[in-house]
Amino acid sequence: MKKLTSTWAGLLLWVLGLLLVPLFADNNWIFIMSYFAIYAVVSLSQDVVLGRAGMYDMGHAVYFGIGAYTTAILNTQYGVPILWTLPIAVVVSALFGALLSAPIVKLRGDYLLVATIGFNEIFHMALVNDVGGITGGPDGIYGIEAPSLFGHQIMSQGGIFVLNWILLGIVLLLMNNLENSRLGRVFRYLKEDELAATTLGVNARYYKILAFALGAGIAGAAGTLFTSLLQSVSPGAFVFTESVTLFAIVIVGGQASIPGVLLGAVLMFVVPQVFRDLAEYRYFVFGLAMIVIMVLRPQGILPRRRRLE
Amino acid sequence: MNDNSTPLLQLDSVGINFGGLRAVDDLNLSIKKGDVVGLIGPNGAGKTTVFNLITGVYKPTDGVIRWKGEPISGLPPYRIAQRRILRTFQTIRLFSGMSVLENVLAGQHMETHQTWLSGLLSLPKQRREEKALRKSCMEILEQLDLASIAHEEATSLPYGIQRRVEMARTLAAKPELLILDEPAAGLNDSESVELNKTILGIRDQGVTVILVEHDMNVVMNVTDHICVINFGRKIAEGGPEDIRNNPQVIEAYLGSDDDDDEEAA
Ligand SMILES: Nc1ncnc2c1ncn2[C@@H]1O[C@H](COP(=O)(O)OP(=O)(O)OP(=O)(O)O)[C@@H](O)[C@H]1O
Ligand SMILES: [Mg+2]
Repeated sequence: MKKLTSTWAGLLLWVLGLLLVPLFADNNWIFIMSYFAIYAVVSLSQDVVLGRAGMYDMGHAVYFGIGAYTTAILNTQYGVPILWTLPIAVVVSALFGALLSAPIVKLRGDYLLVATIGFNEIFHMALVNDVGGITGGPDGIYGIEAPSLFGHQIMSQGGIFVLNWILLGIVLLLMNNLENSRLGRVFRYLKEDELAATTLGVNARYYKILAFALGAGIAGAAGTLFTSLLQSVSPGAFVFTESVTLFAIVIVGGQASIPGVLLGAVLMFVVPQVFRDLAEYRYFVFGLAMIVIMVLRPQGILPRRRRLE
Repeated sequence: MNDNSTPLLQLDSVGINFGGLRAVDDLNLSIKKGDVVGLIGPNGAGKTTVFNLITGVYKPTDGVIRWKGEPISGLPPYRIAQRRILRTFQTIRLFSGMSVLENVLAGQHMETHQTWLSGLLSLPKQRREEKALRKSCMEILEQLDLASIAHEEATSLPYGIQRRVEMARTLAAKPELLILDEPAAGLNDSESVELNKTILGIRDQGVTVILVEHDMNVVMNVTDHICVINFGRKIAEGGPEDIRNNPQVIEAYLGSDDDDDEEAA
């Protein structure tokens, strides 16, 4: 029952956002809400791997970045329209998620964490050094088109916002469905007790790679929209500290908790945008908040409600 | 092929080392379909290790384990589970933060056909399957008298009930060979009598059972065949009556500082 009402409350908020933001918000706020939608999607995708499947992935910005660069390169080099690049970005990111995780999913939590940091460092280095001559080096890639729908470019901030908000809606729906599927349950079994799960016939390796691929694919979709929102990409958005932030959002907000992860994304990405003057204190304030929350409320601000069906 | 001469499960001079420790040594064991086999021995004898070897948690350093004649030693645990060799644990391993029903659903993993994509999209067929899974889990819970607590958090239940939940989860996976590691540990007398009935009921459904147990009430009442090990080696084998009177077995139990068995009748 409780679960049902919170789902409806979430749906209501989403619809209100969709209607009210483009009508009443100024361009600055519309941009902030677009930005929030994108980072909320990335945080939810981090949560698939970390909060749901229980793997300490601290290099998740890699998959966000692969999606962003896939779109940027396809659009600027080959003229592929932005929305056409979206499925490609999803597939490319998911493939990287599967390939990179395959050799490391058998590692224990702390070793896996270090390996994922390694991925992030290598990825960032490759972007900065313009490996393959396609990433634009430290400056990144500029001049990316606005997305177009049925041949019309969506130029207004409101239109872009709607697009981002729809992606967020789709991802929220997928996460909600995950709760009632074998896939979502298997992730939890693996997180709680991998040995017990495998002796019941769960192929742990397969499902862990799948968790990475799914998380990476969703992050890749967010990457496409990030690129089209800023109409440029550069390596700075995909540095290791961004991965740390994503990791912290899930832990501080509440693992495997949709409201928790969304709140975490608001705190880490929206609040600093609103208080621009205080942006330089961001890491100080959030660092302090993280410590306090972990001490007082280690399960996160809005922990997963024990939904016992 | 699978006539009476091929045992269901066969251990062929199986051994394993942990560093310098020979935890199981040259163990031969043959289990016929439909039997309830007891594996007993003092603490640290290597009983749990034998179960870990059978279920693929450990790989034997020597010897072969065969299932219906096919070698299975070295396969990963999930592949052994796929052959319907399923187990419970000496230290109960339920999934915490999940209900009894969700725990038992884990046992139905191999009975579930939905793809990951159909789950993400919540397609009608997937939703129908989810309903059917819950229904068959509830039936299993009813059989074990657990239906009334289906929605309680599994790991916050009393010990004896947790053992039964773990049994339900294992049965949900449709075992052909059911491996029970000290199923009566922590149970009170009436629960342990209940357990005897449950085990015999499971056997009557055609499931072969191998169990480790210190509670001689359970061992003597439900097993057809007993294998006794000490220091990783088999020291006796036979029917319950033979074992009860076997001087080597009495010696192994009395000779060790182990006193939690009352079989010196
Ligand atoms: N993973 C392991 N690494 C090292 N030694 C182990 C390991 N598993 C078991 N052993 C050792 O192997 C021996 C047999 O242990 P095992 O758990 O199989 O005994 P058991 O017969 O089940 O005893 P109990 O009745 O106390 O459960 C013990 O000496 C134990 O310490
Ligand atoms: Mg043991």
